[in-house]
Amino acid sequence: MLTRGTLTYIGQRLVLIAFTVLAVSSIVFLGIHRLPGDALFSERLRGQAYQLLLHHYGLDQPLLVQYQRFLGAMLHGDLGESLVNRGVKITPLVIRELSVSAEVGVVALFFTIVIGIILGTIAAMRQNSWLDYLLSSVSVVGYSMPNFVIASFLILFFAIWLGNVTGGSFQYELNWDGTYGTPGEIWLPAFALGFPYASFVARLTRASMLEVIRQDYIRTARAKGLTEQIVIIRHALRNSLIPVITILGPLVIGIITGGVVIENIFNIPGLGKEFAQSILSRDYNVVIGVFTMYAAMVGVANLLVDLAYTVIDPRIRY
Amino acid sequence: MATASATPADRFDAVPARAQVSLWSDAWRRLRRNRLAAVSAFYLAFVFAVAIISLVWTPYSTSHLGVVTPYGGPSGAHPLGGDQYGRDILSRLMEGARTSMTVGVGTQIVVLAVGITVGLLAGYFRGWFDTVVTLVINIFYGIPDLLVALILVFLIGQGSLGTIIFAIAVTRWMDMARLVRGQTLSIREREFVEAAKASGAKPRKIIFGHILPNALGPIIVQATIGVPSAILFEAFMSFLGLGIQPPTASWGSMAADGVNAIRISPHIVLAPSLALMITLMAFNFLGDGLRDALDPRQRR
Amino acid sequence: MTEPILRVRDLETKFFTDDGVVQAVDGVSFDLMPGETLGIVGESGCGKSMTALSLLRLVPEPGRVTGGEVLFKGNDILQMTADEVRDLRGKDLAMIFQDPQSSLNPVLRTGFQIQEAMLAHHTADRKSSARKAVDLLKQVRIPAAESRVKDYPHQLSGGMRQRAMIAMGLANSPSVLIADEPTTALDVTVQAQILELIRDLNQELNTAVIMITHNLGVVAGLCTRIIVMYAGRIVEEGPTKQIFKNPQHPYTWSLLRSLPRVDADRRERLRSIEGLPPDLIHPPSGCRFHPRCPFRVERCYREDPALAQVAPDQRAACWVTMDRAYKEMNAGELVDVRPGAGSGVNPGVLDG
Repeated sequence: MLTRGTLTYIGQRLVLIAFTVLAVSSIVFLGIHRLPGDALFSERLRGQAYQLLLHHYGLDQPLLVQYQRFLGAMLHGDLGESLVNRGVKITPLVIRELSVSAEVGVVALFFTIVIGIILGTIAAMRQNSWLDYLLSSVSVVGYSMPNFVIASFLILFFAIWLGNVTGGSFQYELNWDGTYGTPGEIWLPAFALGFPYASFVARLTRASMLEVIRQDYIRTARAKGLTEQIVIIRHALRNSLIPVITILGPLVIGIITGGVVIENIFNIPGLGKEFAQSILSRDYNVVIGVFTMYAAMVGVANLLVDLAYTVIDPRIRY
Repeated sequence: MATASATPADRFDAVPARAQVSLWSDAWRRLRRNRLAAVSAFYLAFVFAVAIISLVWTPYSTSHLGVVTPYGGPSGAHPLGGDQYGRDILSRLMEGARTSMTVGVGTQIVVLAVGITVGLLAGYFRGWFDTVVTLVINIFYGIPDLLVALILVFLIGQGSLGTIIFAIAVTRWMDMARLVRGQTLSIREREFVEAAKASGAKPRKIIFGHILPNALGPIIVQATIGVPSAILFEAFMSFLGLGIQPPTASWGSMAADGVNAIRISPHIVLAPSLALMITLMAFNFLGDGLRDALDPRQRR
Repeated sequence: MTEPILRVRDLETKFFTDDGVVQAVDGVSFDLMPGETLGIVGESGCGKSMTALSLLRLVPEPGRVTGGEVLFKGNDILQMTADEVRDLRGKDLAMIFQDPQSSLNPVLRTGFQIQEAMLAHHTADRKSSARKAVDLLKQVRIPAAESRVKDYPHQLSGGMRQRAMIAMGLANSPSVLIADEPTTALDVTVQAQILELIRDLNQELNTAVIMITHNLGVVAGLCTRIIVMYAGRIVEEGPTKQIFKNPQHPYTWSLLRSLPRVDADRRERLRSIEGLPPDLIHPPSGCRFHPRCPFRVERCYREDPALAQVAPDQRAACWVTMDRAYKEMNAGELVDVRPGAGSGVNPGVLDG
């Protein structure tokens, strides 16, 4: 499976990602630095102290020089220093936050895919039964709900209502301490993040499965004497997943996007929270750094999705 | 052998001729029969009406603080209670409807204008323009739209309605352009376009007289489905505090306030959340209904 | 005298559609001897494929086997539990299908799909089934079997795919191989090779073969006995050579006449059978073939003929039979070269 062609393809894509990241962060950099005013409002400094600060960050140089320094630093992996929190290096910060966001995102993706596929398969197997109609209706509700709405309901239920009803013995804390500690901490946000997409995946799986079941090779499998279970899981499912992989790209991007909101609700110290915060506090350097990280994340995610294609469908090779 | 009493041709005359049906009346008929879509349409008309009314009247002021007890629960005078600043939630909800509708429809208008133009030109004339357009679309495909919109708002400065609409439209026009381009590419190969060209019709006439009318179906569906997408987008942005700025009410920012106050007053988050959810669902049902009605080949 | 390995009695399969009940298989009975090659022929929609699927209870929704018996070595398949039937499928009775492109799973390796047949019935473990898969591919004459076994179906040509399907069918040395139009989707030269392969395998392994086809040429080369089906019924059955030389049912006769011949007069138009296949929801009254039959008599409109002996070892369901048609209706002189002459048959004289 890991053929020479595939490796070349991966290499090409990585180069492309690097270029895109460079291009994107350059655009953001240049865009930001054309803004009037600067980030140092909060420092009520004047005169020399102000000039020192400007110099420290290289903001007293002409734009072109700044850009060169920026590019040079980035090629070494250095994303600069935070404007608001002086002395804090951005690169280690965003990498740490990236791992947090990725963790939540992967769990959410897991939920989405697993729950979506299972529900979709069940609905297809019991086509037109009450179960099927129930799942279909729930799924429309599912992908119409903004994820913060789901999150609110979950919080209302778990943190508040259950806490009240059980006289305080069941508590759900909304704070994340940054470690992969109690399971409770990651499941709720991941579920809120993934649920709208799970509905979509379920619908798609159902439609796809219904088509696959009518295919000739399923009849062949049954004629061989295979049990219905093997027919569904080994023969039908893999073929049904092919359209699902198609939407995996936009789905991952949706989860990344939604993560921004979810992290803010649940106080998760990930890239999303940093992004919102840095925009509000006008910490330009961090904004650029976070955006760069996002561009890289999306590029890698898209690459992984395209590779997933080859795993599921052997007719596709790069 | 007995001879046939009537020739086979006679039988055809007995069958009544089918009435001529145009695509639009046929689609309209099918749409009307779709109850879910019909209910959704009524609901959306209602929301629209509320939005318009809120321009001139709301039960209470939407921006004065202390109109009702802060964090006050639902009561007779204030059916939805008050938020953390003592503003009447019902009134704010009405204004929020206006915000959502304005953003939703506004973005789609821009998207339609830009997307259709670019799509038609790229698809019909092809050449370097098309190459550039395709390249741009592919580049933007991989970037999370929310982030781009946020940065745009950030760069431009204030969170006025116009800015938001612009920011969202910038990230959304590509889908429409791609759709229209695809439609143009396939329609221009059809015989009636060749016939028009052969009879000397100018490109402008062909594009607007032949290609655009035939692509209208999918365009309408896409535009309808794009509205809830834009509303959701705005809700996300306002939720993060980076969209519509206070004191203008937006369902998204109201929900954000609600989440912050969730331990104190759970009711604050419910109204805007439900409003969003139901409105989005209605748009989705309507969009599905339109898609089924306009595509005669598709079966449930 | 040996016992038939398969006895089918009054098999009935119906499709319950929104437009009505389709009588796809309406009272089909036949025997299959061990090692015999039986052909089931008829036009599209006559029920031959459905008969085959009914034998293994593979009829798709909204169809169901509604009556009859299918006795395999004395046990009625239609009365078995689902597990028992599954046990038979692919092991004692194997079936291969028409379009090997769509009948093989595109995401699984070809060799594995053959192995699966063995693994499902525990006739071999992983290692030995892998080796046996290669042997089977060799047996069906696929070159470079060792590397082919790892290929995916889309990497094989049409002929190779069909051979692979045959290999899959024979993996567990079944007593009966049911082949549903195995050559229809293939090129003519490949068709001949596949038929030759099946014939050789039948002789080497003594596997009985039921060959379903609409192509009389296929049947002529392979099958010792044939069954002719029309509108869900058997209209004629008997030894192939005999039927080809002397068909008794007008439908069989028309089918044989419609075969284009290299030595035919150039002015002769191709002959067809007039009319359209019957509506199986509302079949014609009396004999189902009568609307299209050039030799029908009044009785044919009213009464439905049952299979009756018309020659040694040959039975046909007809009130008239070709013998009588030749003697009384000048069937032998019916050649019409006018353009658009259709079946080239002048309507026979109607006389009880």
